[in-house]
Amino acid sequence: MKYEKVLHKNLETPGYTGSLADYERQGGYQAIRKALKEYAPTQLIDLVKRSGLRGRGGAGFPAGTKWDFLPKDPALTRYLCCNADESEPGTFKDRELIERDPHQLIEGMILAAYAIGAKVAYIYIRGEFVYGAQVLERALAEANRAGYLGKKILKSGTDIEIYLHRGAGAYICGEETALLESIEGKRGLPRNKPPFPAIHGLYGKPTVINNVETLSNLPHIVNRGVEWFTSIGSPPKSPGMRIFSVSGHVNRPGNYEVPMGITLRELIHEQAGGVLGNKKIKAIIPGGASAAFLTESSLDVKMDFESIAQVGSMLGSGGVTVMDEDTCMVSAALNLMEFFAHETCGKCSPCREGSSWLVQMMRRIEHGHGRMEDLDQLVRICNNIGGKTVCAFGDAEIAPILSTLKHWRSEYEYHIKEKKCLVGNRGGQLLTIGKH
Amino acid sequence: MADTDTVKLKTETVKLTIDGREVEVPKGTLVIEAARKLGIEIPFFCYHQKLKSDGNCRMCLVAVEKMPKLQVSCSVPVSEGMVVHANTTVVQEARKGVLDFLLANHPLDCPICDEGGRCPLQDYSQKYTAYGQFKEEKRIYEKEFFSPLIEKEMNRCIQCMRCVRYCDEVIDSKALSSVNRGYHIEIGHYGEKQLECEFCGGCVQICPVGALLNRLPLYEYRPWMLTRTETTCAYCADGCSLRLESRPQTREVIEVTSFWGNETKTVWGKGRNEGDLCAKGYFGYQFVNSPNRLTKPLVRKDGRRDGPLVEASWEEALERVAEEFGRIKGLHGGEAFGALASARCTNENLYVFQKFIRLVLGSPNVDSSVRYGMVNAARALTELTGTPRWLPSYEDITQADLVFVIGTDITHSNPIVGLKVKAAAKKGAKLIVGSPLRPRISTLSHIVNLATRHLAHRPGAERIVVIGMVKAVLEQGKAAAGLAEHPSIARLRETVSKLSQKQIESATGLSYDAIRAAAEEWTAASRAVIVFGESIVRARDGYETVRILGDLALLTGKLTAEGCGLAPLYEENNEMGAYEMGVVPDRLPGLGRLDHEPDRERVQRAWKEPIPTGPGLTMIEMLAAAREGRIRALYLMGENPVGTLPASAGAAEALESAEFVVSQDLFLTETGEKADVVLPAASFAEQNGTFTNQEGRVQPVRKAIEPIHGTRPDWEILSQIAVEMGHPLEYQDGAEVSHEIARLWPACRPGGPGWREIPGRSEPAVAAERYRAERLTEGISERYRIDSGEKVPASSNGRFHLAMGPLLFHSGKMSLQADGLMKIQNRPFLYMAPEDAERFGVGEGQSVRLRSARGPGSVEVAVKIDAKYPPGMVFFPESFNEPPVKDLLTVELDKASHVPVFKTAEVVIEKIT
Repeated sequence: MKYEKVLHKNLETPGYTGSLADYERQGGYQAIRKALKEYAPTQLIDLVKRSGLRGRGGAGFPAGTKWDFLPKDPALTRYLCCNADESEPGTFKDRELIERDPHQLIEGMILAAYAIGAKVAYIYIRGEFVYGAQVLERALAEANRAGYLGKKILKSGTDIEIYLHRGAGAYICGEETALLESIEGKRGLPRNKPPFPAIHGLYGKPTVINNVETLSNLPHIVNRGVEWFTSIGSPPKSPGMRIFSVSGHVNRPGNYEVPMGITLRELIHEQAGGVLGNKKIKAIIPGGASAAFLTESSLDVKMDFESIAQVGSMLGSGGVTVMDEDTCMVSAALNLMEFFAHETCGKCSPCREGSSWLVQMMRRIEHGHGRMEDLDQLVRICNNIGGKTVCAFGDAEIAPILSTLKHWRSEYEYHIKEKKCLVGNRGGQLLTIGKH
Repeated sequence: MADTDTVKLKTETVKLTIDGREVEVPKGTLVIEAARKLGIEIPFFCYHQKLKSDGNCRMCLVAVEKMPKLQVSCSVPVSEGMVVHANTTVVQEARKGVLDFLLANHPLDCPICDEGGRCPLQDYSQKYTAYGQFKEEKRIYEKEFFSPLIEKEMNRCIQCMRCVRYCDEVIDSKALSSVNRGYHIEIGHYGEKQLECEFCGGCVQICPVGALLNRLPLYEYRPWMLTRTETTCAYCADGCSLRLESRPQTREVIEVTSFWGNETKTVWGKGRNEGDLCAKGYFGYQFVNSPNRLTKPLVRKDGRRDGPLVEASWEEALERVAEEFGRIKGLHGGEAFGALASARCTNENLYVFQKFIRLVLGSPNVDSSVRYGMVNAARALTELTGTPRWLPSYEDITQADLVFVIGTDITHSNPIVGLKVKAAAKKGAKLIVGSPLRPRISTLSHIVNLATRHLAHRPGAERIVVIGMVKAVLEQGKAAAGLAEHPSIARLRETVSKLSQKQIESATGLSYDAIRAAAEEWTAASRAVIVFGESIVRARDGYETVRILGDLALLTGKLTAEGCGLAPLYEENNEMGAYEMGVVPDRLPGLGRLDHEPDRERVQRAWKEPIPTGPGLTMIEMLAAAREGRIRALYLMGENPVGTLPASAGAAEALESAEFVVSQDLFLTETGEKADVVLPAASFAEQNGTFTNQEGRVQPVRKAIEPIHGTRPDWEILSQIAVEMGHPLEYQDGAEVSHEIARLWPACRPGGPGWREIPGRSEPAVAAERYRAERLTEGISERYRIDSGEKVPASSNGRFHLAMGPLLFHSGKMSLQADGLMKIQNRPFLYMAPEDAERFGVGEGQSVRLRSARGPGSVEVAVKIDAKYPPGMVFFPESFNEPPVKDLLTVELDKASHVPVFKTAEVVIEKIT
């Protein structure tokens, strides 16, 4: 089925370059004109609250509610930070929004900054997004020149400046408090919460951190109204469009903007063109590497926050990875575990020590050196990490192992007992590679 | 003042329940502290009361009702009605899980780890019966040479970051950092080679495991086999409590630790230093066991003055001293003796010393190293407030809303008081720093960096800066209520109004606006302390400058008010004690004045003997008298005038002129080399007694080891000479001396809370009132003068201001015998601004020739470039006698206090080609 594009409307328009002129031609920067004229900041917050827009970064927290947590004292300096540190394996939706329609993001940031009373906003962009950073620098310069940014924007009484801050290659800086530390010039380590950024954020000031896709939704909500927004997607709790990054064993991997609430089956088979070589689907990660694996039996689950949570995973960052029947689940879980072990910041003992411990055990099992008691030990280690760390990284990193063990324990046992892989082109081969 | 105290806000409290027991604690208390209050132990590694919570080890997890996950109790503040479960099965299992992780990569080298036996990781593993579940490959860090003093064993590190956080948050040194990420995090330092920092040892002490260790005694001991003696540091006058960890059987001090409470080293430390130490305190103890210690008396061969010093028995040496002293006394009377003591000695030794000089030798000529400057402050403070002791305490500095630091490079002179000032600044207090030094980022902390207002005055212009502030206060009409009408204040206003802003600006190099702004802040503050040091108390007009500081405080109602006042810093550990024990010619033990009949009478009654009348000679007068033949014998206890004073002071000539000189010391000093008899004394580690710190706190000194073979405590030597001379001053032990002092003067007992202990002294406020009415105008025009020549040369004319002063790592004879400190710095440098170095074309370590602009002589010194010094100023650490930079200095005698002033000079620097 075809859906009306919203966030992707401009960038899928032929000849659209993302320049200021193109954006204005498509009706860009009308939302801020409207907002500055028609809404007081509190009204804008109220509007976004009523829209039910939820964060597109991972946790799905209602954006308007987040804004509303800021202290009301107008004397306080506040900051807005755009989290453009998109690093979740299998997720690449923000990158496209940044590279191909930067002004949509900038307009969204202006709206958010106006609503929360921030005079200064930062875009924290992933270090590897070199091209995206160049695009944004250019777009910010254009917006400054055009008077959308800077002192008294659009001749109103509002000052908004946006600075671009490039990360240096740490996944953890996508965690909002580590992101703040990194902007402050410190090591990107998550902070203990409370206090939450709304109270004690960047430089100790009230701060809102929103994801690229979340912010990019704002101009549309302002332009087309709450009723429109709450009529699309999967209202009442998951309204709006959602961009899913589909990858893995599909015919047409890519970003798909669809209403929230379409089924996994539709997303994979209709939008992404089905599974490569018409093979059967074995596993799906529905929301980035931090989300638990689902089996084929979940194909008819609706892709909204609640429905995915009900089947024990999360919608997360919208990164959908499809694995076909020949995929070894031990190997897949190890692959992700290696990623997490590499990216742990090392602050909390359980995550720092546990991630590499898990990798070492998983490598043994993968290579045919496992022991049956390892399986219980894996679960025990995971449980000693989960819920015991400063940030959500600890909960995320255990999802691949726990979910694959739950659904495909037999594959683990086969690796251990037979020293062979059950599936795929390695099926039946002895696995005694590597040391141990 | 009393009224405001009573309206103090009642602290809000919160009630909560932990393990079924209710507890009420102040709002904001952390759950872990609330539990500690109930005696419920929650284990932890990364938490420390001195540090901000980081919550990284995850060991202190507890269950809190209505909160979804387990919470780290070190980071969660209590809230009303909170219900905490600190010991449920879930909680215990979680802690065990954390231990599993920490043990996973921790090596099993406890048997050779110096931390073994005092290691919380061991203790908690035992308690939670955690054992290694980890069957994979352990992480191995490549061994890295860290520092000659600090051993880094990263394999043992549990990445709690306490060391890094301590270095930053407490010391403000920021020398350490974590490097690499995740599983590979390790503790690193800035710079390419080895660690350069303040070497406070705090990282070693705060490390919960054996990842950072003191290298000096590495592998030499098991902690539980050492004898631990709580005592007081013998270096500076901050008066830090520390523990000598020793091996009494071999009479060896093995290492120093401080009081961080329990074995897990996790609570606020005890002592004035609250557990913090500096390089000298932590790494400077080996002078006790230095192979260069004197262990046998030395006498001139065959009694000939030109003969070499040869070893002798104690009997022979003492007999000889007694005989010579007796002969000279018989022929020339007591006036023919001069005596100098070091303020490093204990109160007991100093007390017996002055008693010996006054009674046994019958001489009024007794003085001590307090003459180098401490007397300036002691005299002025006594006049201002009735006591030489501080009115504010260290706690008052920490809690002040403004601290005014002037005339001291506090990190170097008094590092622990420096920490108090830093703590105040970090809590948000205003910090006005009067200092010619510039801000500078390095891995040594620098108080100027933290200043909220930096008065970067010309070197040597401290007095004029303070005069400017007095003037500004009076001009603004900001004198405290009721003062302005007082005639003496009117006279002061009249005096300072005659000084023009321009004069002040040209003498200080500051804009008058900056001085006025500082004065405004000072006036507006309610709890404010002036911390000042060597560049005032040991400098020209030292006594006058302290009085001007007193005037400033008095004018603004901050001289005697609660939490306010003057806080002079002293270099030697027991300067206050030496002054209070009467080791100055004009004072008796207990601060009585020699020329005040009732005071004399009181001491005479106790001693049951007449005390020679004065006035006795002060140090420089004694040396002059010796050169002139009026003084025929000198007794030097721990004091080394030849090594301390510039050659031009004529100390060497004085010793040569005297008929008989006794040097009693730990080491053979420059002075000892000129003595007729050298007596080996025991160090502070080898005897009981007390030191009085600069605040006026009397603190215990305890014997850790028996005197090094052949040495004896000073009081014992004095007592034995007295017996030989037929005028016995007999004591069974040091304690008996302490009792005698306490009988004479109850204020001299450990734990006394400062001035309040001084009997018969009026309240400071009454004394201050008397000062204002009677003394303030005394010498006012002299005190508030601005000499036209009071300008320091700029480097543009080729002349430099040379300042000699303290260095964090050295203090003189003791530090130069301490291996650890010598490993940090074993030679002196001339510190110079990079701009000047560039102008001369000299690089780090290259030498220049230093010549006095006024007198003869020149020396070659190696240069160290340090951006903290402004162009036109060079600095040389005073503890080093080689090269003899101090001999370029001339001595100026302070008319009021007889302090020999010799810490600065105008010099010319030449490049060596």
